[in-house]
Parts: sequence; C-alpha cells; structure tokens
Amino acid sequence: MKLDPSFIWTAFVKLLSAVPTTLFITFVSVLGGLILGTAIALCRIYRVPVLGPISTGYVAFIRGTPMITHLFLVYFGLPAVVDGLSASLGWSFRSVSIPYIAFALVAFTITASAYMSEVVRSGLLAVNRGQLEAAHSIGMTTPQALRRIVFPQAFAAALPNLSNSFIGMLHGSTLAFTVSVVEINAKAQIVASTNWKFFEAYLAAAVIFWGLTVLIERLAGALEKRINVYNRGGVA
Amino acid sequence: MIKLSRITKHFGRQQVLRGIDLTARQGEVVAILGPSGSGKTTLLRCINYLERPSDGEVEIGGFKVDCKHPSKKEIQTLRRKSAMVFQHYNLFKHKTALENVMEGLVVVRKLPKDEARERSAKVLEKVGLGAKLDAYPSQLSGGQQQRVGIARALALEPEVILFDEPTSALDPELVGEVLEVIRRIAKEGITMIVVTHEMGFAREVANHVIFMDEGRIVEEGDPKEIFARPKEERTRQFLKRITPEASYSI
Ligand SMILES: Nc1ncnc2c1ncn2[C@@H]1O[C@H](COP(=O)(O)OP(=O)(O)O)[C@@H](O)[C@H]1O
Ligand SMILES: [Mg+2]
Repeated sequence: MKLDPSFIWTAFVKLLSAVPTTLFITFVSVLGGLILGTAIALCRIYRVPVLGPISTGYVAFIRGTPMITHLFLVYFGLPAVVDGLSASLGWSFRSVSIPYIAFALVAFTITASAYMSEVVRSGLLAVNRGQLEAAHSIGMTTPQALRRIVFPQAFAAALPNLSNSFIGMLHGSTLAFTVSVVEINAKAQIVASTNWKFFEAYLAAAVIFWGLTVLIERLAGALEKRINVYNRGGVA
Repeated sequence: MIKLSRITKHFGRQQVLRGIDLTARQGEVVAILGPSGSGKTTLLRCINYLERPSDGEVEIGGFKVDCKHPSKKEIQTLRRKSAMVFQHYNLFKHKTALENVMEGLVVVRKLPKDEARERSAKVLEKVGLGAKLDAYPSQLSGGQQQRVGIARALALEPEVILFDEPTSALDPELVGEVLEVIRRIAKEGITMIVVTHEMGFAREVANHVIFMDEGRIVEEGDPKEIFARPKEERTRQFLKRITPEASYSI
C-alpha cells in the first residue's frame, strides 16, 4: 500500500461537509445533558424524595453501560414507545418518520446527562455551604441564591471537567454512524469507498477531530481564565 | 426590637437549646458569652432560620413567627429584617467587595443599580474600605474581608445585625480594626446581638450580657455587674478561664 498524500487533502475537504452534523450532535447532547444532568445533580444533593434515589440508580446504570448500547436501546426501543403512545393518543405520527439523527440526539443526551450530572455535582459540592447561607441571610430566596451565588461558582469549579466531557461527547458522536447518520467518520468511509483509500480518509478525519478538540480546549481555557479572575488570590 | 421566646432546638436526640428567652430593644447591643458548644451559634442561626428552631417564637420589629409552623414567606421576612456577620466571613467569592454589598440591595431590596452602587460605596467607605471597592475577597486580608461582611449587613439597614464571633478567625493583629468598626456602628444605634469572646469589647460596648451554658441562659444582666460580680459559679469559672488571655484593652 502506498500513501496518497493528495487524497488526504481531497478527503479532508470532502469531510468538512460533515462537520456541522458532528457539531450539531455534540452541542445538542452536551446542552441537553447539562440541563438534565443539573436536575439530576440537584435531586441527589438535596436528597429529593423518590427522584433522588431514582437519579442515583439512573446515573449508575448509564455510567455502567457503553454509549453504543444506549444508542441501540434507543434505536430499537424508542419506535415501539412512540408508536404505542401515538396509537393510544390517536395521532397519525409513526416512528418510521423519525429521522435517524433524532435517535442519536436522544441517546447521546441520555449518555451525557449521567456524566454531566457527576461533573455538575462535584462542582456544586465544591461551593462552600457558607455561600448559600450568606445568600439566605441577606434575604435571598433559594432559587435566587442558586442562580446568582452557587451556580456561577460551581460552573467555575466544574469547567475543566466540563470541557473534558465535551470532548468525550465529540469523539463519542462518531457512534452515530451505526444508525446511518453521516457524521465525519461515516463520511470518511463513504469518501474512501470508491478508491479504497480508507487510511487517507480516516487520517483526514483524525486531523479534523484533533482540530476540533484543540479548539474546545482553547475556548475552555480562555473561559476559565476569564471567570476565575476572582480566584487569583494574593492578599493585598 | 427583637424578642425570642422559649426557643428550643434539637439535633436528632441531642437538645442544644433548652428554652431561651432574649430581648434586645431598639439600639441595644446584646453580647452572648459562653463556653464552646453551649449553643451560641445555634441560637443566632435560629433567629434567621439558617437553623430551624424546634419550638418557640421569634419576633423581629413587630413581626412574630411561631417556630412550629413557619411559612416560607415568614422565614423570608425574618431574613429580610435581619442580617448576619459570619465567623468565616462567607463573602461571595466571585464578587468584588462592592458587588458583595450591592447584591442584597439589588436582588432583595430591588434598588436600582446606580443607587445600590452609590449606597454600597458609601457603606464600604464607612468601614474603611473606600479604596478596595473592586477587590475580590481573595485579594483582601481577613480583617478587610470581615469589614466587607459588616458592610454587606449594614447596607441592608436591618432591624438587627447578628454577629457570630466576628473576630475569632482573625490573626490577633487584625482583631482591633474589626472591633473598632463594630464599636462605631454600635454607637449609631443599630440593634446588635454579638457572640464574642472579647471580654473587653463586651464590657465596653454591650448594654446587656448573656452568659450561656449547655443550651441555657445561666446568667444575664448589666455588663459591669456580670464582669465584676458574677453570681453563678459557672460564669465565674468561665470568666476566670477566658479573661487573662482575652484581656483585650480598649
Ligand atoms: N448541624 C448540626 N448538627 C448536629 N449537631 C450540631 C449542629 N450544629 C451544632 N451542633 C451541636 O450543637 C451544640 C452547640 O453548638 P454551637 O451552637 O455551635 O455552640 P457554640 O457556638 O456555643 O460553640 C454542639 O454540641 C454542636 O456539636
Ligand atoms: Mg459558635
């Protein structure tokens, strides 16, 4: 086998068209996972009856099973649920009209929510209890205190882990190819299928993933620097 | 005016407060003394419901709450009528000195930002931090942080300010500057309840001294009386133990 450098470039350019799909899957699952994960973390930290234990079990199960398994469970399970629901409610909607990418979005949001909940939870636990008490003592309600005092500090503490999870979801999004979503890796396979230059195509894909990863790290680093101004210490 | 009646508090099976009655009239400074673990902090925290009393009544500025069935709204009201200065300052770490003081004015009192900023700057100036408005807590010394804590409480113009050992986490050389600020605002007629081990300070500033032990008020009265002629044996022992090292002279 001889390396064909020019095809790396050709593949690279062709793969760029799949970047939006990969980023879309990643952003949606990270954002959805963050929202769901925050709710889960709050249920666990504040020991909400019923929801707290359920959350704990949910996180244990999701983290104890592979991401691709979540995708298959959703892919093969969701249609039955949707059709059953739709039949009992008299809708005309059928599961065959669900786009493939929706399965990936749902499954990866579930995956991300479990990991994000741990990130959020450790962030929240890093905030001293005295912060909430001080907020209460000046008359703030608990939602006000969480929003204005606790969450910003928890976010700052969680940012490094958050960016790691983000990168994890970016790389994990490649699994979407198993349910026929054309993201970067799937596109590489398609691009190479005409001339069998798979190595060149996947090398181009690797370069793109690496670039995106570095970009995320840089952005997180810059954000971290900005919001951690208050930690710079040094007694005046 | 603030009035506590028959406050009790249990942590599980341990009873920490055993029926506390306490009154501070408008402008009065009440000092609470007592050995560690006697329930002083818990008592203060029961006043603004950071800790929920098991039983009793809390009344601040004519607003009375039965501790058995307080509503969220009642708790909120008590918290808005009081303010607290914490042993470990508990400044909002991600906010500057000015923002720390502004926070309550803007979010709770709904003052316009400009007005809140102006007022906060004035209060910070009053506690000697006019030059540190934009400093974050991590950039301030313990004494400066505690003065921001005092400013944060003061700016809200509460009916009562609750101090929980405001100087006990400070290096000795920083204690003076904080006590000086508290002494100054006491003279302005702000009602205060101060848990402290600074006997000299209590003697000079307090109108009324309470000595607590094992969740009860063992003895109370005029500071000059209590320090000169304590009636109870437990008070005498406590004062003897604490006075030599804490004879902070004013
Ligand atoms: N959150 C809590 N849970 C259980 N016990 C507590 C809690 N807070 C305080 N206590 C107990 O209550 C007693 C009184 O504590 P505290 O009010 O802090 O005393 P002081 O401030 O006089 O030193 C102590 O025995 C302490 O261990
Ligand atoms: Mg205490």
